[in-house]
Amino acid sequence: MRPSTAQDEWEKYRETEIQKLGPLLLALGYTLDPEQPHTKGERYLMQAVTTESGQKLVLLGTRTKDNLRAVIKVSSDKKGMQELQHERVCREVLKDIRFAYNIFHTPDELFFGKKNGYLISIQVFIPQERPFLERPLTEQFSLALAAFKAQEGAHATTYGHERIVGKTFGTMRIEDYIRQFEQFKINISRSKPGLVSEELLTHAERFLKENRLIIEQYSGFLTHTDFVPHNIRIQDSTIYLLDYSSLRFGNKYEGWARFLNFMVLHNPPLAEALNEYIRLNRTPEEVLALKLMRVYRLGEIIWYYTNTLDKCTGDLCALNTERVQFWTTTLEHVLADKPMPSEIIEQYQNKRDNLRSEDEKKRQQGLH
Amino acid sequence: MKIVLVTPLYPPEVAAAAPYTKELAKRMSPTHTVSVVTYSHLPEQLPDVLVHTVKKNQPLPFRLISFFFALIPALRNADICYAQNGPSVEFPLFLASFVTRTPIFIHIGDPAAHVYAKNHFFRNIVERLLFSRAKKVLTDTPLPRPEILPLEEMPEQELVAYERSWTEHLTLLEETFSTYAT
Repeated sequence: MRPSTAQDEWEKYRETEIQKLGPLLLALGYTLDPEQPHTKGERYLMQAVTTESGQKLVLLGTRTKDNLRAVIKVSSDKKGMQELQHERVCREVLKDIRFAYNIFHTPDELFFGKKNGYLISIQVFIPQERPFLERPLTEQFSLALAAFKAQEGAHATTYGHERIVGKTFGTMRIEDYIRQFEQFKINISRSKPGLVSEELLTHAERFLKENRLIIEQYSGFLTHTDFVPHNIRIQDSTIYLLDYSSLRFGNKYEGWARFLNFMVLHNPPLAEALNEYIRLNRTPEEVLALKLMRVYRLGEIIWYYTNTLDKCTGDLCALNTERVQFWTTTLEHVLADKPMPSEIIEQYQNKRDNLRSEDEKKRQQGLH
Repeated sequence: MKIVLVTPLYPPEVAAAAPYTKELAKRMSPTHTVSVVTYSHLPEQLPDVLVHTVKKNQPLPFRLISFFFALIPALRNADICYAQNGPSVEFPLFLASFVTRTPIFIHIGDPAAHVYAKNHFFRNIVERLLFSRAKKVLTDTPLPRPEILPLEEMPEQELVAYERSWTEHLTLLEETFSTYAT
């Protein structure tokens, strides 16, 4: 897909769909907000790279009769509808799952059903006093830890567990992690030769393969593969998990790894504190499992941004090239067990803020 | 003494009986020959502790039979069998108790499972049967390890209390086991 086409097509899709959805949602008793920040900025690019999950819109609105704020997920695309269905099934199964010792809080469902060829999922919008990253560090730490412990409470090990899991959630085993990393490496090298050091990627791949038993040892746990602040909301110290489609059974530290890598950029002291927590309270094998998962997830994010480079233009392309460099540097540091120097983080943040579009800046407001 | 720890849960499982059994094995292994029989795929390892595993990902009857056959050789040469409660252990251990003469001690490491068994006809029977074969049913459990939180002060007092609870617990077990050891 040519760069300008991806953005043009997304904007056309968004405008057409919102125009059709307005009256449809009104008939259901919901009014769409005039501004829809989650459809703008770099959103088009996410859609272009993750087409496997299908096209869908995440909109904000209000229930007309009582002004209740709502999140409306809509899709008319086959894969997009499948994703919404899957997310709902995961949500329902998780409520009843016998081996999940902890409760996952979910925003109440207001509507789920088909209307005029659209699958519509409406849930209560959870207002939060302030975004996750604006909370005190100790509170961020406690909230994150509680969320990870809740995920760890669900471990699928028996024949009965695996049957439930297999039917509903995806599962990742050691072969899957290794195979996917190999694919990231091949894709990165083929897509943009020389952009990322071949030697570094080979080193990372070897590290995963050499420790395959550790990855397998901590597999079978419930893990949210995109566990970052924009996928949770906090109200009165209760964590509401959004985006149930990213739940799967895999390595216990996959969710931790995504969160820690994210925090290297957004809140390094929190990443450091969580790393230290694992070191002080878990076994040496678990410390290694976390490192392995961080390496795997870094391979994934490097490929994710490399893959966007043919689909963007101008500042966004320059920004995504910077992103590839930044995450590559992070990978080097994780492999060497070294913290990321603050100068590198600040340097990247400055470049990012200069290169981000106004729409994207608006989309980012209060997101984390 | 040769001690066999029998448990339905062992790390990387996270429920209370799992870290308890691993900690017990770690603390007893310098003075006794300790082995573990458990349901697991890849258990966490300890130096000088042999962990016999039965895979969980097979239908229940096969799981129980496999566990029974894992218990027999482990118990044959043992002086003491110390088992955590739970039906997946209780049933095969009850059967194994007729094959070996090793004294059995039960620990209610999973009180929730014990309460559940009281209200469940078959589980209650299984539990009672095994308890009838046991030399003693113990309920004493040391404190759980206090977490060290990097952004908070070191929980010095809790760590001292934790260590003390383990010392007392081990003393109790040593005294109990030495009375019945074969």
